[in-house]
Amino acid sequence: MNVQEKLKEVLGVGGAAVQAAVVSLVAAAVASVRWLLLTRQGRWLTVGMGVTSAVVVLGTTLVSHPPVQVIEPAQVGIRVNLLTGGSSEVREGWVLRVPHVHRLYLYSLKDQVYRTERSLRADGPAPFQAAEGLSIGIEVTLRYSLDPARIPELAQRLPADVGREIVEPSVDGVLRRHFAQHTVREIFATHRAQIQKDIAAEITPLLREDGVVLRSVTLGNVDLPQQYRAGVEALLAEELSAEKMRYTLELKSKQVKESELSAEAEKVRREKNAEAAGSEEIIAAKAKAEAMRHVLPFKEKEIEQRRLEAEASKVSRLTQASAEADARRIEAQGEADARRKLAESDAYRVEVTGKAASEQLARDAELISRNPLLIQKTLADKLSDKIQVIIAPPQAGGFIAGGLLGQPQDAQYAKRAPPGAAYSQASEPSREPSEYGEE
Amino acid sequence: MLATLLTIAIVVQDPVSLRAAPQDAATRQATLWQGEWLEVRGERQGYLQVYDHRRERPGYVREHQVRVYRLEEQSVPQLRAVLEFLKDTPGSEALGIGYAAALLRAAPAHEVGPELFDALGTLAERLARRASVRKSTDEALAAHLEVAGMYGVKLVSLEQEGRTRICYDGEAFRRVLALGGSPQARLRAALALTRPECVDPELGPVQRQAIDVWRGEVLEQVDTAQLPAWMANRLHVRRAEVFAALAYHRARRGEVDASVQASERAVESLARVLKSELAEEDRSAYAVAAVRVGASRWASERVPEKAGAGPVLELSQARPGETCLRLGDDTESPLAERCTYGVVWPGSIRRTSDGSAVTVAVQMLEGWTELWVFHQEGPEWRLDTLTPAATEPGLGYVELAGFSPDGSRLLVAREAQVEGKVKTSFQVLKRETLVPLASAERPQDSGTFQRWSSAEWRARTVSMR
Repeated sequence: MNVQEKLKEVLGVGGAAVQAAVVSLVAAAVASVRWLLLTRQGRWLTVGMGVTSAVVVLGTTLVSHPPVQVIEPAQVGIRVNLLTGGSSEVREGWVLRVPHVHRLYLYSLKDQVYRTERSLRADGPAPFQAAEGLSIGIEVTLRYSLDPARIPELAQRLPADVGREIVEPSVDGVLRRHFAQHTVREIFATHRAQIQKDIAAEITPLLREDGVVLRSVTLGNVDLPQQYRAGVEALLAEELSAEKMRYTLELKSKQVKESELSAEAEKVRREKNAEAAGSEEIIAAKAKAEAMRHVLPFKEKEIEQRRLEAEASKVSRLTQASAEADARRIEAQGEADARRKLAESDAYRVEVTGKAASEQLARDAELISRNPLLIQKTLADKLSDKIQVIIAPPQAGGFIAGGLLGQPQDAQYAKRAPPGAAYSQASEPSREPSEYGEE
Repeated sequence: MLATLLTIAIVVQDPVSLRAAPQDAATRQATLWQGEWLEVRGERQGYLQVYDHRRERPGYVREHQVRVYRLEEQSVPQLRAVLEFLKDTPGSEALGIGYAAALLRAAPAHEVGPELFDALGTLAERLARRASVRKSTDEALAAHLEVAGMYGVKLVSLEQEGRTRICYDGEAFRRVLALGGSPQARLRAALALTRPECVDPELGPVQRQAIDVWRGEVLEQVDTAQLPAWMANRLHVRRAEVFAALAYHRARRGEVDASVQASERAVESLARVLKSELAEEDRSAYAVAAVRVGASRWASERVPEKAGAGPVLELSQARPGETCLRLGDDTESPLAERCTYGVVWPGSIRRTSDGSAVTVAVQMLEGWTELWVFHQEGPEWRLDTLTPAATEPGLGYVELAGFSPDGSRLLVAREAQVEGKVKTSFQVLKRETLVPLASAERPQDSGTFQRWSSAEWRARTVSMR
């Protein structure tokens, strides 16, 4: 309240000043217009300002409505003449567009995507209904493009946003009808591909009428109600678990099979290697046997050579032994002959010497018989030179050395001894036996 | 149990008695051998009280018979010094392996390098060689092998020529190659891993080829640039041997290009050997490698073009692994035909100038190459084979060195391993009978051979090394 009062007070105080200012401004404007219209300088200034304004307006028009426009690749343009009402199709490149005469509509020929944004979530603004009456959110994506052949005829009625104004109304009903014919489980898991196919089959002709070619329909994420999701997910988990088990078993079985195959391959490889090694051993053994076969003849020759050498050696030794035996025989013969000759010569010598001895004895006997003392002389000669001997006629005992010879004194020949005896200064030998005994 | 040990006693003598009481007259619980570990639990009357975890038995040993170490980082220098000494001490392999195990336990991870594994591998390798001596009177050997086995050193037994050979499986050497190591250590490792006598003779051709491929890869991991010439020689000799075997294996499987490469590599490796720097103990291996290379060198020989008129030798595949040789002329019927399971070397085909004889080298086994001679006797053609030696096929080759100008004589070079020794002979054979007319141990000892041997053979052969 205080603020309002203060404001009224300020306005009440400032009202007179404002009125005075407005009056002065209106007076200044009227004076300016009069100057512009009535004075020469004012008229020149007015013309200049007019021309400048026209140039500015024209420039602005050309900038905002360029007379030449570029049609990009993958675009098609429909140029409509506003004066005649005719239209023409223009393709990629430059196109003339007279401002305020031509109007150009550009359409993309590229594939475009429409996604059901409002029906993505079960608790969203426009969820789909399943056969059980449950609200579900389904992400449906349609890929479509405009039919380039039909663009000229449809150009008049094609909206700017084809997706929102043509595709969405056509598709929405079809989608809802189809989803309403299937259970959540079918949509969620089992009939997804079939539903997709059915929807595509039904939508394609509908869109074709509007010059739209449907490329594909894809069912993406399915958003279930929370409670149902838990149940279904549990159920699916069970199924998936069973499925997983089946796949696991299959995988295991395949792994077992793979191991078997690997083992088999390894076994085959080992067998091949062993076989190769065995073959190589056999080849080496055969080569060795072959080499041995080549050596054998030489060994046999060597053995034969040695045998021949041994035989030659034997023959040579036999010959040598025979020669040695012959030589020994000849030697023995020679020796026997030599001995016989020796014996003969010995016998002859004995005979001759015997004869000579006999003759000598005969001569000695004759000499002794003629000179009996000769014996004693001879004996005396044989005695030591230390003994002086005098030959004397023998005594009755006879022989001078009878004592020495152990003869009796009455020796026969002493009896026959000639007169005279040998006298010896040597003492008569003792008749006692010597300590050595008699010899 | 061993993981919890802190103080160990390593037995350093052979044999040592584990006594039941600290007295010499006490009952002997067990006989211990060098290299074994014992847990030290105390000391009494000049004896160490120990526990043998292997036999699960406590007892006493004399202090001077063992060396005591704590398994901690401070003991590493001592253990390393002893291991360095034992590495080159014959007869102490088990003790060295025991020390190596102790060092592995005591050293932190960053100090365990290729040198330690080189020492361990060297010891294990020498122990295996000791066990493979023909007439061993080594009584402690069995016990030493057992001690080595206790530390995880794996020694495998192979049956060869009626006797058992012990070989080290090479685990430590593999680690040396993986961790790096000095060039000498890598060479030792590569040579030990690729010892030909440690390849199981019972292996089939497929496994044998796989082993040879692996041996080739191992030998490729050693760089000879920083090695002294006499050591590099060993690597070249081994490479020549392995690649010669691979050339045959790959040709047998029809892998021609791979076979050519392997053969070229074998010939090149043999050519890299400096004879003036060849160690005395390597001469035998060098001769054997040369024979192997000579047996398969034809793989890298290009196929000669047919020159002049005369019969042509054609090769064709028959059954798997079998090659058929067909000697033919312009007529349809072959003059002579023979199939073989050996590898026929097309690069070895030679003909006399008058076309009266055709020769070809056929490799029957990995190291055994024969010379097949097709020759004319009147109107007929016959095939005779020349073998490297009249022994059981093993290691040897015979190759054509040329023809006499009139084609009545064949010049051949033969090399074969007979009773463990490589014997070489250069012979002049009568073509009709293939009986040697002249034979010499060196080409220059036979004037005929010297005069008629072909320049091409002299340029390519490995028999005149």
